[in-house]
Amino acid sequence: MTNNFKTILVPLDGSKYSKKALQRASEITHAFDSKIILLYVAEKSSINLLDRKEYLKMVKKFGKKNLDDANKTLSKKGIKAKFFLKEGNIVSEIEKIVKSEKCDLVIVGNKGLGTVTRFLLGSTSNKLAQHSPCSLLIVK
Amino acid sequence: MVIKTKKILVPLDGSKNSIRGLDMAIHIARQSQGIIVALSVKSVPGIYAIHPLGFLDFNSTKELKKTLDDAKLRAAKKGIKLISKALSGDPGYDIARFANNKKNGIDLVVIGARGRSSAKELFLGSVSNYVLHKSKKPVLVVK
Repeated sequence: MTNNFKTILVPLDGSKYSKKALQRASEITHAFDSKIILLYVAEKSSINLLDRKEYLKMVKKFGKKNLDDANKTLSKKGIKAKFFLKEGNIVSEIEKIVKSEKCDLVIVGNKGLGTVTRFLLGSTSNKLAQHSPCSLLIVK
Repeated sequence: MVIKTKKILVPLDGSKNSIRGLDMAIHIARQSQGIIVALSVKSVPGIYAIHPLGFLDFNSTKELKKTLDDAKLRAAKKGIKLISKALSGDPGYDIARFANNKKNGIDLVVIGARGRSSAKELFLGSVSNYVLHKSKKPVLVVK
């Protein structure tokens, strides 16, 4: 079988959906002996032009906290994980990591922290489904 | 094994992508000791609701059966139990409804990124997209 889930990427955003995704990822890791990569992307929004630096700082701090939390929950289960903190567009950063780390699977929640929550599927998950070069598991 | 995917739904349409999805499902089912439910939906255009002769399209029914039998063989080779189901109607709608139905108890939907109607959308098939949006169960999109 070529499709072993060797490396799994879990993008986090601090929402409860991403926590669900993380839990599912740890289950799969137990079954398939795979590595987990955690990713937080601080989105550079074009709205806050004036206090951008401060905003970015805050977001990064939040991201770091999230990553640490996730890392803790994983290490409780005996799983070691790499983690990245990036800034930029969420979807393209995820794609970049997928390519550079040769991930086999991306696990996302169906919704995130987006302010306008769509009916069932979030915009980022939707974009990922359309564009991602590897398999995608959407946890509901 | 803590993985909780006991019943995996794999919609099949006979395309290469759906077979890849099936392979992935078999792989997962082996790890979780689950079973696979293969679902094949014969696409019936709405117009046939008024014109009942449309249901008598034996050719595609035969094709459907062949797809399901192939799938069964593929799963049996790996020692996985596969239940096949055939429906007729609108593929996206029926797959989503089947997945959401509590009676069926589906834990995971594994779907190929593209099916037969590949020209319709460049990256993600229209049916996959529909299922992704409407299903209340986790969906694994296989590329």
